[in-house]
Amino acid sequence: MSLEITNAIVEAIPRFEGYVYPNESGTHPLWGFLIVLYPYITGLVAGAFIMASLVRVFRVKPLEPVYRLSLLTALAFLLCATLPLLFHLGHPERSIQIMITPHLTSPMAIFGFVYAWYLMAVLFLELWFDYREDFVEWSKTEAGFRGIIYRAFTLGVTDVSDKALALDHKLSWIISILGIPSAFLLHGYVGFIFGSIKANPWWGNAIMPIIFILSAMVSGIALCVFNYMVLTWVRRRALDMRCLDVMGMFLFYALVIDATVEALDWVHRAYSAEEGFHVMEYMAQERLFYTLSIGQVLVGTLIPLLLLGVLQVLRKRIPDMARKRMYFASAVFILIGVFAMRWNVVMGGQFFSKSLRGVMSYKLEFAGVEGWFMGLILLSLPFIILTVLIKLFLAERLSTKGHVPHRMEEI
Amino acid sequence: MGLLKMPPQIFRLVLLTIGIVVSYFIARQLLTPASFRDYGFYRGAALEEVASRTPVFAGRKSCLECHEIIQTQLFKGEHKTIGCESCHGPSSAHVADPDSDGKKPDKRNTLACSRCHEANPSRPVTQKQINIKNHYAGQKCTECHVPHQPNEVP
Repeated sequence: MSLEITNAIVEAIPRFEGYVYPNESGTHPLWGFLIVLYPYITGLVAGAFIMASLVRVFRVKPLEPVYRLSLLTALAFLLCATLPLLFHLGHPERSIQIMITPHLTSPMAIFGFVYAWYLMAVLFLELWFDYREDFVEWSKTEAGFRGIIYRAFTLGVTDVSDKALALDHKLSWIISILGIPSAFLLHGYVGFIFGSIKANPWWGNAIMPIIFILSAMVSGIALCVFNYMVLTWVRRRALDMRCLDVMGMFLFYALVIDATVEALDWVHRAYSAEEGFHVMEYMAQERLFYTLSIGQVLVGTLIPLLLLGVLQVLRKRIPDMARKRMYFASAVFILIGVFAMRWNVVMGGQFFSKSLRGVMSYKLEFAGVEGWFMGLILLSLPFIILTVLIKLFLAERLSTKGHVPHRMEEI
Repeated sequence: MGLLKMPPQIFRLVLLTIGIVVSYFIARQLLTPASFRDYGFYRGAALEEVASRTPVFAGRKSCLECHEIIQTQLFKGEHKTIGCESCHGPSSAHVADPDSDGKKPDKRNTLACSRCHEANPSRPVTQKQINIKNHYAGQKCTECHVPHQPNEVP
């Protein structure tokens, strides 16, 4: 019995290397797996929204088949964005307090405002204006539970005259333009939370928000590619190859910029070699080797860059089937790679001793609130919500005017 | 007149927004705790609530009222400054009802010793430290050491 106790104690005390401060050596990192999920999910929201705005604002017509899917993806993930934080804090019943007694000076609390703005003023409104015409149509044709939902969503307005629709499109366009800086704000804010911690060289970095936004765009577009391919596969429909090629093109461009800026960050750190850089080097080579060098750099960046780059150059020579597989593989690799990037940021900053002479470690557990099983449940939740949203608002049997933003010009 | 000219969908949205904002402020009015912001950004009444809790620690004096022999042992050795309840756990229930077996404090265990003596480079070198995993693993600390008189051998 005492042997078990002894072993349990030794397991409970985390290992660390070098010299670390007492408060760093005694406890587990405060931020675990759930805090890794939070920037990941938020980034997917921002990225998926920017993907949708390519259609709405930048008029990229080939992407129209994925416009609504991207917006619904953003919504499904946004609804889950705060859950990891809530679970991490461990008192979900207190979540009402953040709204009842809002704090105005804490940077962490400002997320509540950014989140509320993004959900209520950007996503809901853009979706509502885009869907209004269809809601009116469906509220007449659909019966039962669906009918009640669609009727409720019309808010009692049945005016679908050309004039009213033109106004819808115009407002939707304005909201989308507002939405781009809002999406940047939403995820730039997450980067800011880490980047503003100047005592920690791993985090304290002025371009952290930019890196977060760029990687968010990459992961969001990759998620849309993934969702689009899975959805058409589930429905046994043919993929719109032109749409997929254009998504792949934007994914490639975003990835090039993201990889360049992140590499620039490392080159800058390496060249300026400020105090503590040797610890960073050690982390990249040893402690974070699998997530940083393998996960983030190789799987998340180099392989997708190669695959997507080849597709840009030899698009016409590669058969459709191979292209589909290459896009799908790139999307999955990027989703894994961006997850590894979030892990490296959140965990890396905590491994880094403030003494600049040592590193801590973290053992991911299976069970418990911070375990990976919980994380897996949290990560599958937005997909479940998305399935419900697709069944309600993107069902094949519903007749739709389709998303045709360019019709605004015609009207 | 201005309202009537407003396009119907905008009018409904404005109504909905007003509805949400008004219900928010009503909810806020009803749900904000009464003593919030009395002293700062917290519930003022929380201070009284915390102060009115029954203490779970009895303090060394209460222990030594009955366990005098331990006192003479303890005061000779290195552990003389350590409170009884640091190793034995909170004991006020035991002090209030000394005869009840269920309320007796914990016997010391390996966990109590490791709290101070597990090797940790951030600790002062004068404090004796061992790596519990390698230091006679599987045996209880008390088989070789006397916690009340750390310098003695049993």
